[in-house]
Amino acid sequence: MSGTGGKEWPLICFTLLSQTAVGAFWTWAAFFLVMGNTGGGGEFGFLTIPVLTALGAVLGLAAAISFFHLGKLWRAVFVLNNLRRSWLSREILFELAFLFMIALLAFLEWHGVGLPFVIGGLVALAAVIGFCFLFSMAKIYMLTTVPVWRGPHTIASFFLSALLLGPLAAAAGQGSLYKYSDRTHSFQDIAAFVSLSAVVLIVLMILFLTPRVGFLGARKTTLLEYPADRMYPYLAFRILFLGAATLFLVAFHKKQEIGRLISFALASAVAAEVLGRRLFYAIYSRVGV
Amino acid sequence: MPNPYIHQYAFFFDASACSGCKACQGACKDKHDLPVGVLWRRVYEVAGGGWKKAGGVWVPDVFSYNLSMACHHCANPICGDACPTKAIFKRDDGIVILDTQACIGCRYCEWACPYGATQFDAAKRIMSKCHFCYDYVDEGKPPACVAACPMRALDFGELSDLKQKYGGTAEIFPLPDAKITEPALLIKLHKDAPRAGKDTAEVANWEEI
Repeated sequence: MSGTGGKEWPLICFTLLSQTAVGAFWTWAAFFLVMGNTGGGGEFGFLTIPVLTALGAVLGLAAAISFFHLGKLWRAVFVLNNLRRSWLSREILFELAFLFMIALLAFLEWHGVGLPFVIGGLVALAAVIGFCFLFSMAKIYMLTTVPVWRGPHTIASFFLSALLLGPLAAAAGQGSLYKYSDRTHSFQDIAAFVSLSAVVLIVLMILFLTPRVGFLGARKTTLLEYPADRMYPYLAFRILFLGAATLFLVAFHKKQEIGRLISFALASAVAAEVLGRRLFYAIYSRVGV
Repeated sequence: MPNPYIHQYAFFFDASACSGCKACQGACKDKHDLPVGVLWRRVYEVAGGGWKKAGGVWVPDVFSYNLSMACHHCANPICGDACPTKAIFKRDDGIVILDTQACIGCRYCEWACPYGATQFDAAKRIMSKCHFCYDYVDEGKPPACVAACPMRALDFGELSDLKQKYGGTAEIFPLPDAKITEPALLIKLHKDAPRAGKDTAEVANWEEI
């Protein structure tokens, strides 16, 4: 059997929104943990109430969209039943734990409580839970019976997507919150550099890690069934490079222009990632019948 | 009540005897009232070969055989590992059951099973699969597919008993390495089966299954 039938749009949205939220949190968390409380005026530096609320909203939206993938969504409460064996159960557990940590940080920020080292520990713990969330998300696809998904490229692509989208989303969000701050500009510069690095790593991953096994000689694939899908790899590459070129421009920006460049790079990255995820599902091909 | 003397129910399939009539497929669909697009038992038509030079002329050198396949009630059911709700589990007699009240229709088991055993029922919006006609076997009757086969190409029973009676293997083109899930399946190979693994062979009736 090949291709997943093109019915995976809820999963594509869930994955990309979750990767963006985790990647953005990592960016803000890294800035907070490295630079300390020097940012947006809150207890946690740039991890302010609006930022934490936005992260919670994105994660909530991702979870809500993922329900559309289920046949019986009111039975979703059973989804934690198989933590011992199912990576999907583990993914949902870590998603809920990450959401809880975001809510806890927002609560502490709102009430202005918590010792600095405790807050730092909680931010670091949330970052680790976010890592586990993405790891379990990737492991869902690494099925023994699906060799085209079972490889280091799947793990790498899930984390690199987070490192591409997250910092860009954080930089865009930061720009809209603190437009005239010098620290905002330095934050955006660093975030853009991380995203640009992710682009380079994604290209290296595609060149060296992605399997060259074609479709394993299985039956015709979704790629062949839907001619428009054949364009996805080329479009994905081109838009990715467009985003990369924009990020290069960030290096030579004037301060007034960085917001527009970041937004354009984010839009390019999202478009490339959507196509990439669609391609990922399209190449599904399992052993057997 | 599951038979306490059975540790692992299994199917036996004689590929050398199967005529491809699909009576097993029809009996299964009828017994379980399966909707269009859902086949718990499927008959795959494997075909291959080409032309070969014999003396001064080219002659056809083709082969084909049928495979009647359902859920193989694996010792290591990978569908159960993928299922987040534990809706797929093994009974004491080895039959792999899907609890339709616990299935959320996420379809991850469909991705995982290399035998295409778990199938989405679009009307009910949950997965469905062969359950070995456990209602029949608990009453001492054979599964509907086994009872329907006019060639007696299908049989069922305790895996160890079937091994003793027929021997056989669980590996034949295009099935995967049996080590992955350890299917409770024994196949008597068709004489051309070894060729299918070496020559260009394919399932010729994807449209039907």
